[in-house]
Amino acid sequence: MIGLYAIVQGAPKRAVGARGEPLRELSCGEFSALTGEAPPQLSVEALRAYEAAVRRIAEASEACLPARFGAAAEDEESLRSELAARAAELDQALQLVRGREQMTLRVHGLGAPAPLTTAGAGARYLEDRRRARKLPELDPLRAALGSLIRAEHLERHWEPGLLASVYHLVDRGASVEYQRTASGFRSEGLRLLVSGPWPAWSFAPEVAIP
Amino acid sequence: MSPGKPKLEEILEGADGSLLEIIDHVLNKGVMVHGELVLGVAGVDLIYLRLSAVLCAADKVLPAPREAK
Repeated sequence: MIGLYAIVQGAPKRAVGARGEPLRELSCGEFSALTGEAPPQLSVEALRAYEAAVRRIAEASEACLPARFGAAAEDEESLRSELAARAAELDQALQLVRGREQMTLRVHGLGAPAPLTTAGAGARYLEDRRRARKLPELDPLRAALGSLIRAEHLERHWEPGLLASVYHLVDRGASVEYQRTASGFRSEGLRLLVSGPWPAWSFAPEVAIP
Repeated sequence: MSPGKPKLEEILEGADGSLLEIIDHVLNKGVMVHGELVLGVAGVDLIYLRLSAVLCAADKVLPAPREAK
C-alpha cells in the first residue's frame, strides 16, 4: 500500500514525507501525484507531521491539492487509474488553487437568526436555505476583503456557539492583508477566529480514500 | 454546560487551537482506519474480518437538526 500526499503541478524536486522519506512523483499527464509510505497509525504526532509535510509540498509547488491524512492506494497502478478517471475534475481544481493558499474563519455567534415571521412556510424554508448557504451576516466582511477572496467554501455547523467555518482562497502573499482586515471586522453577535495561510485543504477533491 | 468546562472559543483560542485547526483541515471528512481481526476458538481460526472504518467529526455525517418551528 502507498500513501498519497498531494496532487500537484510544478512539484518540488526533492519532496519528503512525514517520516522524512523521499516521496515519489507519479506522473499523470497534466499533473502528478506525490506518494510515500503507507499512512501511519493515527496519532497527534502523526497528524502534525503529515500537516507539516503537506505544507512544505504546497509552498514549493505551483499548484497543490492536499490529500487527507489516510489517503492511500493499493499500488501506483490503481492510484494512476483513479486519478486518470478524474483528470478533468482535478485539472479544474488545480487551476483554481494555482498560486493561492487558504485562509480559515471560524464564525462564532448566538445561533441561527429567527425565521421571517411574515412570510409563508415556503418562503421561510427558502430563506433559511439561502442563509444556511451564504451566511449573509458576513457580507460586510466579504465586501471589505473584496478581491482578496478568490473563492469561498462555507460549511454551516449546528453546534451551539459555532455557526460556520468559512474557507477563503487568496493569492500567495495576500494572507497578511487578509488577516489584518478579517481580524478588525466587528459585527454585533458575531465573533471571528482567523487562521492561515494553509494549503488549500478545503478546495481539494477527495481522492484515494479506500 | 458545567462551570468547570471550557467554552469552545476558549479551546480554539488556547494552546490546542492550532491542533484543532490541523485536525479539521487534515481529517475533515474523515480518516480511514484499517485493521484485521481473526476470531478463533481453541486455537482454530474461525472468522477472519478485514475492517475499514471512518473516523470523522459527527457533524460531517449526521444530518443537520431541523429548525424549531
